[in-house]
Amino acid sequence: MMKMMWALEDSAFAQWVAGAPTIWAYPSILTFHTVGMGIVVGACIVMDLRLLGVGPEVPVERLRVLFRPLWAGFWLNAVTGVVLFVAHAAEKATQEVFYVKLGLIALGLYTVVKIRREMFPEGADTARPITARVRGLAILSLLLWAGAITAGRLMAYINLS
Amino acid sequence: MNVNQQLLPFYYWLESTGLSHWVNHNTAWLWPTMETLHFFGLSLLVGVAGFFDFRLLGGLRGVPVSAVKKFMPWALVGFSINLITGILFFISQPRVYAANSAWWPKLAFIIIAGLNAMFFETKMGERMLALPPDADTPISFKIIGALSLVSWFFVLYFGRMLAFFGTQISGL
Repeated sequence: MMKMMWALEDSAFAQWVAGAPTIWAYPSILTFHTVGMGIVVGACIVMDLRLLGVGPEVPVERLRVLFRPLWAGFWLNAVTGVVLFVAHAAEKATQEVFYVKLGLIALGLYTVVKIRREMFPEGADTARPITARVRGLAILSLLLWAGAITAGRLMAYINLS
Repeated sequence: MNVNQQLLPFYYWLESTGLSHWVNHNTAWLWPTMETLHFFGLSLLVGVAGFFDFRLLGGLRGVPVSAVKKFMPWALVGFSINLITGILFFISQPRVYAANSAWWPKLAFIIIAGLNAMFFETKMGERMLALPPDADTPISFKIIGALSLVSWFFVLYFGRMLAFFGTQISGL
């Protein structure tokens, strides 16, 4: 496992990402990872706020527009995340907090899918009424994304080799 | 930079304040906690403001602009979190930030985005209420929405670049 991580890190691509003296390598990829974070978490925040009662004059079914940027942001971050990982594979692979971050993102996405199923059933034009269960999911979603951001930020501070 | 030289006494004064010492000599956890809060604020601001900008650009037709604007206090909450944490970052190391060539453009784009939002808030209220929900948004709304998206992107870009541009402005 660690051998593979070292091999990844030693690849020409990883070396370029981590070490190229240009802002188009690591700095720009990191910036796009942050932009993607803002889009994913931002879209979820708007959805969750509405489900919790903010902006009641915005019909809930119109919030469907949020899913497209949400998933686009997710894929942007999946790709930039893999590239950032490869650049320092050996270190990140040994950071427990990195796996905590991945777990929290997976759970955050699970709440997105759950909310979508509960609120916007396939083929229906209107959204279902907001139940206590959905409000619970919205609160859980906010907590999970806050946790994922915290874990991501802590990757620069703890479990470093 | 001339401005920095003129502001030098101010930077020294900031460094001498109790708040600056408090941030610098706190536990190892304070800085990462402030950074994490800064990222929470970023998500809140970019998400909610981006949603409103989308409406200003002509999206979500049929939903009154004023209805979407009801989310905006939450963008202000995000902005406030980031203003407070950002000021604390700056007060702790004013000369380090002022010498960073990414910091000034970041500040400039925050001011542009802020003035843009204030312009909409103070001058466009009546037009917003008079606009039929199904009508396309006027060009002025589209310009304001686009300017907001572009300037927040650059705030984020130059914020990220703070760690990579480093000290490039001499004289401090």
